[in-house]
Amino acid sequence: MAGKPPASAIGLGRGSGQPTPLPEARRPGVTTTLARRQSRTAWLMVAPLVLYLAALTLYPFGYMLVMSLFRYDLASWEPPSFLGLGNYQAAFADRTAAVSWRFTAVLAAAAVSIELLLGFLLAVLILDARGERWIRSALLVPMAVPPVVAGVAWKMLFNYQYGPVNWVLSLFGVSRVSWLGDPFWAGVGIIVADVWQWTPFVFLVLYAGLQSVPDELIEAARVDGASTGQLLWQVRLPLLRPLLWVVLILRLIDVVKLFDIIYMVTFGGPGSATHSISYYIYKVGLSYGWDVGYASALSLLLLAVVSLLVNLLIRGLRLRELLGF
Amino acid sequence: MPAYRVRYVRGVALAVVALALCAAAGVALAGAPSRVAGTINVWVVPEGADAMHDLAQAFMRDYPSVRVQVTPLSWEILYARILQDVSAGTGAFDVATWDVMTAGSVARGMLDLEQFGRQNPDLILPGHDPSDFDPVAWRTAGLWEGKNIGFPFYLNTMFLYYRKDLFNDPNLKSQFRQKYGYELVVPDTWGKARDVSEFFTRRNNPSSPTEYGIALMFPRTHTTFYEFLLFFGPYRRSDAGMKKFGPISFEYGDYFTGDLKPAFDSPEGVAAINTIKSLLPFSPDPLGSDYGETIEYFARGLVAMVPQWGAAWASFKAAEALQPADQRVGVALIPGGHSVSGNWGLGVNASSRNQPAAFLFAQYATSKVADKGKFLKFGLLPTRTSTLNDPQVKAADPRMAVLGQIVATQTHRPRIPEEPRLEDVAVGTFTEILLGSVAPEQGLRQLAQEWTKILGR
Amino acid sequence: MDRVWTALRYAAIALALVFFLFPAYWIAITAFKVSAEWFTWPPIVFPTRLTLGNFLGTEGGFSGSLATAIGGIVPYLRNSAVVALGTAASSTLLGSLAAYALSRFKVGGMSLASWIISVRMLPPIAAALPVYAIFLKLQLLNTVWAVMMAHLIFTAPFATWILLSFFNEIPRELDEAAWVDGASPWTVFLRVVLPLSAPGLAAVASLSFIQSWGEFLMALVLTSSSDAQTLPLFLGRYITGWRIAWGPLAGAGLVTMVPVVAFSLVMQRYLIRGLTFGAVKY
Repeated sequence: MAGKPPASAIGLGRGSGQPTPLPEARRPGVTTTLARRQSRTAWLMVAPLVLYLAALTLYPFGYMLVMSLFRYDLASWEPPSFLGLGNYQAAFADRTAAVSWRFTAVLAAAAVSIELLLGFLLAVLILDARGERWIRSALLVPMAVPPVVAGVAWKMLFNYQYGPVNWVLSLFGVSRVSWLGDPFWAGVGIIVADVWQWTPFVFLVLYAGLQSVPDELIEAARVDGASTGQLLWQVRLPLLRPLLWVVLILRLIDVVKLFDIIYMVTFGGPGSATHSISYYIYKVGLSYGWDVGYASALSLLLLAVVSLLVNLLIRGLRLRELLGF
Repeated sequence: MPAYRVRYVRGVALAVVALALCAAAGVALAGAPSRVAGTINVWVVPEGADAMHDLAQAFMRDYPSVRVQVTPLSWEILYARILQDVSAGTGAFDVATWDVMTAGSVARGMLDLEQFGRQNPDLILPGHDPSDFDPVAWRTAGLWEGKNIGFPFYLNTMFLYYRKDLFNDPNLKSQFRQKYGYELVVPDTWGKARDVSEFFTRRNNPSSPTEYGIALMFPRTHTTFYEFLLFFGPYRRSDAGMKKFGPISFEYGDYFTGDLKPAFDSPEGVAAINTIKSLLPFSPDPLGSDYGETIEYFARGLVAMVPQWGAAWASFKAAEALQPADQRVGVALIPGGHSVSGNWGLGVNASSRNQPAAFLFAQYATSKVADKGKFLKFGLLPTRTSTLNDPQVKAADPRMAVLGQIVATQTHRPRIPEEPRLEDVAVGTFTEILLGSVAPEQGLRQLAQEWTKILGR
Repeated sequence: MDRVWTALRYAAIALALVFFLFPAYWIAITAFKVSAEWFTWPPIVFPTRLTLGNFLGTEGGFSGSLATAIGGIVPYLRNSAVVALGTAASSTLLGSLAAYALSRFKVGGMSLASWIISVRMLPPIAAALPVYAIFLKLQLLNTVWAVMMAHLIFTAPFATWILLSFFNEIPRELDEAAWVDGASPWTVFLRVVLPLSAPGLAAVASLSFIQSWGEFLMALVLTSSSDAQTLPLFLGRYITGWRIAWGPLAGAGLVTMVPVVAFSLVMQRYLIRGLTFGAVKY
C-alpha cells in the first residue's frame, strides 16, 4: 500500500532523485516581465504570513530585549527601572535556574534517546507484522491526547497509594515508589510521560522511512546473501540516518519547551527537582509575581539555546535541497 | 375542623406567603438602582466554588438584570491572574476571592469598598454591617494598610481531623498505654503526635487499624509554606520565642522577628524542621501529596489523623468510609497548639467596568444570610460575629467547638507584596531540606539570605 | 526457534500497545466509575459498576461536585471548537500561500524560509509575556481571537514547512504549461497546485487542529473566563486545587480527548504524511 517515493521528497536524498530546478530567471520560455510580475505576486503571497509572524515575534523579541535590561516586577507596583545586565547576572547566580537547566538537559538526554531507541525498535517490530495498520492507528492515540488530559491521567496513574503503576510494580514484588515525592522518581515519571506521548511520533517517522527503502536495494542485498539482521543494520539503518537526525533535533527542541505535563503532574516538585526551564520561566514571569524583567532575561537565554538547535535542524533538513535553492 | 375551613385557612396562608414573597422581591428589586445591570465576572478558589455558584444563582433571582458568571480557578492560577489583571487594568474580573497572604500584592488594584459605599449610599444593602465581621477576619481579609480591599468571604484555619472511633477504642487504648506508658488521647504536642503516628502506622505496629498515622503534605505548591508554620508556631509563639524574636507584625507574620528579619534562621527553625522530619516516616508520600491526596487518604480511612483546612470537613462528612461521620471524625486543635490563618476576602476590581453590580454582589455574598447559608450548606466557616454566635451554627458541626480557640492562637503568613516570591523560594528550600539534600542549618541560612535579597535590605 | 521469535515479537507489540493505550483507557473508565472506585487498592481496571453521575454532577461521596461537574463544559467545548477550527483554516490558508511562493518563486531565499520554519521552534513561554502585552494593547484579551492568533504563531510556520515538500513534488512543468497558456500565478495556485496537493492541505489542517485543541500555556495566559477559555483550561484549573473530583475531571478529560482522538484516527493517512514531511504516500 505504501508507495516508495524518492527519498529526496523529504530533502534527505544525497544528490539522487529529482533534478535541482533552475533559478527562475534562467528558465527557458519565461520572459522577464512575466518573471517580474510573478515575483511581485510571490511577495504578495508570502506577505500575510511574514507580516503576521513579524508582528507577533519580532515585537516580542524587542520587548524582551528591552525588558531584560530593566527591573520590572508587577507584584512590587513599581514602574520599570533600568538595571543593565543585572537580570543576566542574576540568571547565572540563580540556584533554581541552574537546577532547571540541568533537569532540562537530563530530560533531553534521557527522554529523547529512549524515544529514538524505542521508536526504532517498534518500527522494526511492527514492519510487515500482521495487523500493522491497526497497530499503527492505535499508536496514534498518545500523540492526539491533549497534554493536559495526559497530565490528569498520569497524576492518577502515579498516585503513591492507589495508583495503577505502583500496583503493577507490586505484582513483581516492588514496594511502592513515590513517583511524585522523590526527586529521582519524579524525574523518571516526567520522562515516562514524555516517552509515552512522543515515542509514537518517532516511530511513525522511522516507520515511514523504513517503508520507503527501495525494494530493489533489499532484493539486491538478499541476493548477495544478507541475513535479516545484516539487512537492517547495513542497508536500512544507513538510509534512515538523515531521518533520525531530523527527528532527534525536532524532539530536542520540543523537549526544551516541555511545560504542560510538569504543570499537571509534579508542579515542578519535589523541591525543584522537576523544574524544566520553560516551567521555571512560567513561574518567574507569570505565576509568582510577574517578574517581567527577569523572565525576559531567562527567555532570551532559552532562545539562544533553541536557536542553536534550530540551526542544527535546518542544516539537517538539507533545506537547500528541499527548496531547490 | 371542617374540611372547607381547612381549605380556607390554607388558602389564606398561601395568599399571605405569596404576598410576602412578592413584597420581599419588590423590596429587593426596588432596592436595586437601575444602574445595577449587565454581567459581572466572579473568580473563585475551588473550595468556595460550590457556595459561590449557589450565591450567584440566588443573586440572579433577586436581581434579574444582572448576569453573574462564576469561574473557579485553582490557587496557583487565581493569584497570578488577579495580579496580572489588576496591574494591566483590564477589568477581566469584577469580583474575586483573594487569599490573605496576597493582600499586599493585590491591594493596589482593588476598589476601596468603604469609600465606594460612602460615595454610593444607595448601593449599600440593608443590614450590611461591616462591624459585624469577626475582628481578625476583618483585619486579615478586609484591610490592607487601612484600605478596605474586600469583605471577609469565609474564615479558614487549620484543624486536626482525627478518627474518633479509633481514639476511643478501649482495645487500642490499652495497647497504646502498654507501649508508650501514657494514655492514648488526641495529641496536643508534636512529640506526642509522633508517638501516636508511629502507633497507627502498620509498618511499625502490625496491629494498627490504619496503614499510616498522619497525612502530611509538603509538595511544591504554596502548601508547604503554611505547613511549616504549624511546626514553627509553637517555638515562635512560646514565651521564650516571643522574648527572643520579639512581637509579631500583622503584615510580616510569624516568619519574621520583631525587627523584620527572618526568624527561622535559628535553632528554633532547625528544631521545627527536625519535628517535621520525625513525622515523615508515618505519613503516606508526604512530599508527593497536596490537598487532593491527603484529603483522599483520610477520607478513605488510610490514616488516623490529618491536619487540614476547615473546608475539608465537607469532604469528610460525605466520605463513604467515614460513616457515620459524627462518630468517626473528630476535630481538634493542631498539635503544638498553633494553626495558621487562611481567610479569604471578596474584593472588587478597581478597573471593573461594572462596579455597582460588583459592589452589590460582594455585599450580597458576605451578608448575614449568605454567611450562615454557606456554612450550613457547604461547610465554609463563617466570618460574622452574629453567625459565629448563632446557636444553630454553633451546634451544626464539631469544628465550631474549637474554632474560637484556634482563631485566637493561630499564626500568620506574611501579607506583604513580596510574599509570593518569598514563598516560592521557601517552598523550594524546605522540600530540599526535607529530602535531605541540604542540611537544615545551612538551608535555612541560605533561605534567610535569599529573603533578605528579595526584600531589598 | 522461529516460532519462539514470532511469539516474542507479538508479545512485545502487545505490551507496547498496552503501555501506549492505558492512560487514555484509564481516563475513559474513570469517567464512568462511581466515586468509591476512583481510587482503590488494587485499582479497578475493569469496572462493573458504571455511572453517568460524573457527567451529570450527581455522583456523591465528596464535596465540590457542583463546580466540577462537567455540566458547565459546553462554553469551553464551543471555544475549543471555534479556536481549533479557526486556527486550522487560517494556518492552512497562510501556510499554503507562503509555501507556494517559496516553492515556486524562491522569494526571500534560504533565509526567509529558514526564518519561517524557525518560528515553529519558538518556545511558547518565551513569547507568552510579550504576546500578552500585545493583546492587552489591542484589547483582545479573553477573546477567542487572541487565543486563535496566538496558536497561529506556531501552526502557520509548521503548515508552511510541510506544504513546501508537498508543493515541491508537483511537477513544475504543470505550472509552466499553465503560464504559457496565459494563466496568472494566482490561477495556477488555485486551479492547479491546490487541487493536486489536497492531501497536504488535509495534513496541515489536521495537525494544526490537533495542536491548537490541546494547547494550554497561551490560552492560560490570554483568557480568564468561559467567554474564551478552552477545554485544557477547564481541566488545568483543578489540578493543584482542593480535593480533586477525579470522576468529573476524567469525564471532562474524556470530552476533551475524544473529539481530537477520533478526528486523528479518521485523518490518520494525512496526518502520517504530514508528520513525515510527505515521505509516505497512500
